[in-house]
This record gives sequence, C-alpha cells and structure tokens, in this order.
Amino acid sequence: MKRQEKIRNFSIIAHIDHGKSTLADRLLEATKSVSTREMEEQLLDNMDIERERGITIKARAVKVSYEASDGEIYDLNLIDTPGHVDFNYEVSRSLSACEGALLVVDATQGIEAQTLANTYLALENDLEIIPVVNKIDLPSADIDGVRHEIEEVIGIPAEDCPAVSAKTGLNIGDVLEKIVTDIPAPSGDEDAPLKALIFDSYYDSYRGVVVYVRVVDGSVREGTKIKMMNTGAEFDVVEVGYMSAFGLLPAKELCAGEVGYITASIKSVADTRVGDTVTEVERETDEALPGFKEALPMVFAGIYPADGAKYPDLRDALEKLRLNDAALTFEPETSIALGFGFRCGFLGLLHMEIIAERLEREFNLDLVTTAPSVIYKVTYKNGEVKYIDNPANYPSPDEISLAEEPIVKGNIITPTEYMGGIMELCKERRGIFIDMKYLDKTRVELHYILPLNEIIYDFFDALKSRSKGYASLDYELDGYRESKLVKLEILLNLEIVDALSFIVHADKAYARGRKIAEALKENIPRQLFEVPIQAAVGGRVIARETVKAMRKDVLAKCYGGDITRKKKLLEKQKEGKKKMRKLGSVEVPPETFMAVLKLDDE
Amino acid sequence: MEKRLGIYIHVPFCIRKCAYCDFYSITDFSILTAYTDALIAQIRAFRPLARGYLVDSIFIGGGTPSVLPARQIGRILSALRATFRVSPSVEITMEANPGTLDAENLAGYREAGVNRLSLGLQSADDGELARLSRIHTRRTFEESFLLARLEGFRNINIDLMYALPGQTEQRLADTLSYAVALGPEHISFYGLKLEPETPFGKDPTIASQIPDEDEQYVMYLSSVHTMESAGYTQYEISNFAKDGMECRHNLKYWHLDEYLGFGPAAYSFFDGKMFSYARDVERFIMNATDLRLLFDEYTVPSEKELAAEYVMVGFRLRRGIDVADYAARFGDDFDARYAKKMKPFIDRRYIVKTPEGYRLSLQGMLVSNYILSEILEF
Repeated sequence: MKRQEKIRNFSIIAHIDHGKSTLADRLLEATKSVSTREMEEQLLDNMDIERERGITIKARAVKVSYEASDGEIYDLNLIDTPGHVDFNYEVSRSLSACEGALLVVDATQGIEAQTLANTYLALENDLEIIPVVNKIDLPSADIDGVRHEIEEVIGIPAEDCPAVSAKTGLNIGDVLEKIVTDIPAPSGDEDAPLKALIFDSYYDSYRGVVVYVRVVDGSVREGTKIKMMNTGAEFDVVEVGYMSAFGLLPAKELCAGEVGYITASIKSVADTRVGDTVTEVERETDEALPGFKEALPMVFAGIYPADGAKYPDLRDALEKLRLNDAALTFEPETSIALGFGFRCGFLGLLHMEIIAERLEREFNLDLVTTAPSVIYKVTYKNGEVKYIDNPANYPSPDEISLAEEPIVKGNIITPTEYMGGIMELCKERRGIFIDMKYLDKTRVELHYILPLNEIIYDFFDALKSRSKGYASLDYELDGYRESKLVKLEILLNLEIVDALSFIVHADKAYARGRKIAEALKENIPRQLFEVPIQAAVGGRVIARETVKAMRKDVLAKCYGGDITRKKKLLEKQKEGKKKMRKLGSVEVPPETFMAVLKLDDE
Repeated sequence: MEKRLGIYIHVPFCIRKCAYCDFYSITDFSILTAYTDALIAQIRAFRPLARGYLVDSIFIGGGTPSVLPARQIGRILSALRATFRVSPSVEITMEANPGTLDAENLAGYREAGVNRLSLGLQSADDGELARLSRIHTRRTFEESFLLARLEGFRNINIDLMYALPGQTEQRLADTLSYAVALGPEHISFYGLKLEPETPFGKDPTIASQIPDEDEQYVMYLSSVHTMESAGYTQYEISNFAKDGMECRHNLKYWHLDEYLGFGPAAYSFFDGKMFSYARDVERFIMNATDLRLLFDEYTVPSEKELAAEYVMVGFRLRRGIDVADYAARFGDDFDARYAKKMKPFIDRRYIVKTPEGYRLSLQGMLVSNYILSEILEF
C-alpha cells in the first residue's frame, strides 16, 4: 500500500456548544493517543480564554494512529477550526488542508447558521462530508429529524450517518470507521517540487515560529531551503515533525499528504501567513495554492493604558501578541481624552474582545478601549478618497462629497417563531431584506444586506435576546454602500471627548445620542461639581443629561476597630479612582467607553 | 511623664441582634460569668505591660454591656484598677440598651464607677425601631433615660441614626427634637451603613428604600442645624456635645492616641502595634491569656502609615489637623506633603484653613471619604 493511502486528513465542523471539542477528545481517546486519566478536558482548545468562552479561536492539529477494522493502521490528522465568523478565512484554509470533514450537529438543536456557512466552505473545498449526529443521550434528541434536516438543507445523504454521544462515548467507533472508509486518501505527487499549505502558526520563544502545514506535493526536511510564495520570505528548515497529542514530535521529513510542523528560526508570524504556500527555493512549484488572502482587519478601536505610564508596556504586549496574530494591526494614536495609545485593527468584535482580554490577563494591563469603528470610505470634494477608521479623523460635512460605509451579506437562521422580531431588528439596523428560505417546518434562513457598523454594536446580543438564544448569524463583507453618515460628538462638561465620538447614520443620530447620554449618566459617578453631558451633531446639541454634583458620602462611624476598616475602604476607593480617566476635569470609569456600546434596545 | 491610655472592654452579648448591626455579639447568655472571668484573666495578664501608663478613659461597649449584672461590671473595673494606674478623674462609659435597665442595675453600675452612659435610641419612631429590630420602644427608652438621671448619671449620650429605610425628613426631625428635648450631654448621630453580613445587607429590597444622596444631604444638614441650635456643638463628623462633654474615649481614636481593647473583636493601638482579636467568644474564653491564639490582625505600622492614619482620623474632627502637633509627632511637614493635593478642595471650600492648620468644612465633612481618598497616601 502506498503511504498516502493510509492517511486521512479531516476537520470537524460544528456550531458552538454542539460538542466539537468533546468529540475531538473522544476520538483521541478512542485511538489511545491519550489515556482518559491524563487527558485534560478539551485537549484541543488549549488557551484559557478559549476554554472559558467555549470556543476555539486558533486552529490546532493533532495526529493519531488508528487500527481500523480492516486490520490496517491509519494516520488520522485532525485539523481543528476556529468556530466564529471573525475567523472565517482561517476556517476556509484549515478546511482546504483536508480531504474530509465531520459535520457535527446537535440532535436537540439542528443546523445553525455558523455550521451551514462552514459546511458550504467545506463543499467549496471539495471535502467529503460525514454528518455526525451528536448528543443522542439527551432526552430531547431527535436523531431522525436531524438526519432528515441535513439531507434537506445541505443535500448530502445522512440516512446511515453515525449517531453518537461524545459525552458518554457512545458509537465513537462508527465515526472512526467512517473517517477511514469515506474520506479520500490524499493523492499528492511525492516527487514534485514542495507545495505545502500553511493553515496555522504560532510564535514560540525557543523555536521561533512553528508553522503548521499540510504538504500537498513533494517533501520537506531539515535543511530544505523554503520560500513562502506570497510573502517571498525564505528560510532554512531547522526541524520538521508531527503534532502529537502530547506536543511536537520531530520527524525526518514530511511528505505529500501529511500534516505536520516546520520550524526555521522564523521571527514573526507575519512571514507565515495562513493560506500561504511553502515551496523550495531551488525547485519552486509552478503555482501557489489558491485562496490566499491577506487577513484584513474590519473593526478598529483605540486601546489605551488606564495608567498613562504603562504605554511602553502596552506597546510591548501588542508586539508580542502580533508575533502570534498576523491579523492584529496597531499603530500609535493620541487622544486628547485618553493620552497615548494605539489604534488597533481586528477581524471582528470577538477578535477585539479576545485581544483586549489577553492584554489584561496575560500582560496585567488595565485598559481603556474605545467604541469600535468600521472603516468608512470618504470621497472629498476635491476628489481625494480616504479610508477612515477613527471617528476623530472624520471630516466635517462640508468637505465630503460622498460618504460610504462597509456592508455585509448576513445570513441568519432562526426558529420561525422569532422571525418577526428578527426581521424587525434587521430593519432597525438598516438591513435590506434579500430573500428567505425555509429549512424545514420550524426554521428559516434569512438573507440580509446589513451595514457592518450596525452589526458591531450589540447586534449579536439583540439577536440572541429576540430569539431566546436560538438564532445564529453568519456574515461576509460585501463592499461599500453610500450612506447618510454623521459624526456624533459627546461633550462632557462642555468639552468634546474625542474618544467618545463616533460615526452614525443620520436617521439614528438622535436616538443614539440620547441613549449614549443616558448611559454616560448611569456610568459617570457624581463629581464635586455638576457635569453636563451633551450629544451633538455638527455642533448642534441633540441630547442632554446631567450628572449631579456629589453631595454626600456614606459617613460611617469611625472608632477603634473601624479605623482599619475605614483605611481599607479609602484604599479601595483610591484604587478605584486610580482606574478613572480624567476627561478634562471629569473623572470617568474606564468601562464607560465600552458601556456606551451596550445600548440594548429592550 | 506617664502616657495616657484608653481601655476598651467588649461585651459581645445581645438579647437579640439588630437588623443593621455587624458588631460582634452572640445571644447565648449561659457563659456570661465564664466570659467575665476570662476578661479579668486577660486584663491581669497585661500587668507587666501596664507600667508607665495612666488610664484616663474606659469604655465598655458591645454588644449590650448592660446585660451584665452590676456585680460583673464591678469585677471588671476592679481588675482594671488592680492592673493599671487609673486616673481619679477617669471617664468610664458604658453602653446600655433601653429595656435592659432598671433602678437597681443602674445604681449598681454607678456604684461600680461607671460615670457616663451611652444609650441607643436610634429612632424615636416605634415603626422605625421595630424595623431595625430594636428591643425597645420610644417609651421604654424614655423610662430608661429618666431612671438613669434619677440614679445620678450626669453624663449621658444618646445614639441616633439617619438614612434609615423609608425614613422621611419629617420623621428624622421628630427624632432629633425628641432627643434634644431630653437634654442629654452628648449625641452621636450616625448614617445607616448597609453591612453585607447583616439582615439589612442581605435583603436586596432595603437599599432602594434608603433615602438617596440628596435626601441624606438635607437630613444631615438640618439635623446638624437642630443640634447646634440646641447647644450641641459638632466636634466630629457624627458627634455632638454640650460644652466640655465631648467623649474623652472616642477622642483618643480621632487623635490616634493609644487604646487597649479586651475581648473578642476588640482592637488595640498599643505600644506601636495595632492588633485585634478574633470574633469568637469561645476561643476567647479558652485562651484569654494566650494572645497569640487570639490575634486576628497584628501589624506594626510604619511612621508613614501612622501619619496618614492620623490625618484620616484627624480630619473627622471639627478642629481638624494641628500641623504643629503633626510635625511634633511624625517629624513631617504637613503643608509640604498635602498642600498641593488639598488645593482644589481649599478652592472649593471643602477644606478650610484654621489658625492651627486645616479642617473640613461642613460641606467637606459630607464628602470626606472622597476628599480623604484623594489626598491620602497609605
């Protein structure tokens, strides 16, 4: 048997909570890669934040050996995929490294938008799809219904697909057999020049960047001079190997069809872009693999250290994160209100939240994050075109001849009973209805064109709250559209706070201005003087609130024992005050900048 | 010269816990005598450390000290006199709850040496008293107060509270005029603070019934006005007294003078150390003389910490900070350290210059936490 015939490369597609990680664990366990006892829960997701949020952010891969019922031993390479719309591109690259995918569907929930979107991606990549109905141990499991739905909605046979409980381990063997029998073996040309797909990479302080690749053609070993075809960067390979369940396992070479890693003293993940093709310098392959895209940030926000003196620390931290995250961009920015910080670009809101959280957690920084913004396209009267990612730089109306905003194609799947509320929400968010499709009797898929800036403000929350958590959204960027945009400015104590201003559709300026003023009033503690809060468009005040002057603290008694308590109380108060940002003469808690975003409309 | 010392005795027994109170107390009276014995043993154990001190104030607090029979109070005071040199003009305060007092025990306390009573009225409104789960009514309070007068107590404090759930300005004003009409020598006037480990603190509906900041502001100012007009001078944020009747013991806390506490949960600032005992009567009884087994906190504050604490408590006083005294005690220049930080508050008249130094204005006292957290460095 040729070596490639005993390799199976596959991913798992699943909606959040449908049990992808648990299934992955069971597969590893069933192949004896890990003993149950040694296994940490959810082995593949090995970042804290991922685990807490129950999602996989970065792809991971693992190789296991499986003795199939035909008596042969197969190498199974599981390539995990990120489960969020922010990381769509990474998902597509991970999928294109595989020949097949397990489509995991929760037997109690059915197909969700995210699953559907990724399944389409898999189909585009010509993957063999094996449906797996999971959670059949739950009393409300509807195995036949879900099978039927898979056939109906996706159009692939599911009649005899494995029905498992990843939680209890029931029928996991069926899945492994299906992987061997149904997923095609790779069929690369082992003698051709090296052609390998990068589907992930990370920075390791000892080895440099560890690049995860799928070798399509040829082979790579220590000493191979490699070249990244899109970035043009060249390196000498130091080590190749496999990703075992226990860590990196060095090997002599990686050959066509295999999944493994390469290290080559690479300093930055910027040189190892996901989707890029690795080839040999001496013997370049004719054509790079298709589908490479530069990861482009879509959402921008200012990130500032709560303590101005920590600016260099923040810069160092961002640089460290960028070693591992080519999609993160940042450049220095100065705000009158917040001092020195960075304008950072993210793939989406989740990406932004993750970065902010990692900065706080791993680098111990207190941050102030401003409202996220999309990139607006502004054509000036003099014909000049500018892309503006910072509301502070948005020009005054008399300079603008055309303002455009980014739009997305949105795809929402919801139980029919919430359809009305969701259509209303999309309308409120300036969505344009395209069409809809009934997936079955109870669920419908809605297609909308939506402005991206409406999605980045609490759209997910609103969607969830209007559908009791059942609706799901997937979207992709769809260019720019002309829009009546205005800059909404916020004044505290009669001074404009640049970090609080943002761009909004003219028709929504009034309502939003009012809500922000109210949210600020809720968030800003009383000061020693009265603080007027105003929202203004083009110099005209459209909403006003007032934070009354502080008049009285809690005047607790203070005797012997209370002195210690009093001191602790004052210390705590002082700690809290240290975190406050001074905007002019007004002290504002750092959460304020984000709180003005949480303007849930219900 | 002898150093002055205040003594605090904690009596952690109550007939029933009040809904707002988080002072340490228990309701099991079977160990009263054992407790008194333990207290006395602990007091005696301090004999080697008592040299060089003159006790000029003793404060018996609680809990409800008046659940102790006069004989036990007498034993405790005798033990103190046997251990420490006690000034002939010592102030001996005992807290007492109306409803636990009668002519007999009042006479007994007086005979034992108690010369100042602190009576918890809190409110003159029976509805509010019930709400606070106090054990007395306005009427029983009045009886206790008059009995104390008849038994010869010439120095009585009344504790009052404001910012109670559902309290109106009018009802507070009634409480104030009632208390003032009784003519005590001293009034303590506290804002209710919701403590997490109390029934009030745990009841999520209470917070919303408490008068808001603006109402409390008016309550405080009008109450200060009522008391000042009736001859009670405000000498501390929450304390008012007729001339010369300030509580000597409590002044020690605000002057950061030395005080020594006995009993579970008692605090001490003694010989440069600050320490407190665990809130556990049984442990106290078992180990009364082995302090190591009782300590809850024990610190030796630095000079700098002490200086900051001096400022923290000093600003509670109407007379404020005496910069010369500050310099003498800590060898530090108050103006150099604080002038810049105080400036915005001085500009807005929250802090006022005095001949001796600085004090908070009435407006400043109202936002004292804010001001102190701004200017202090611990």
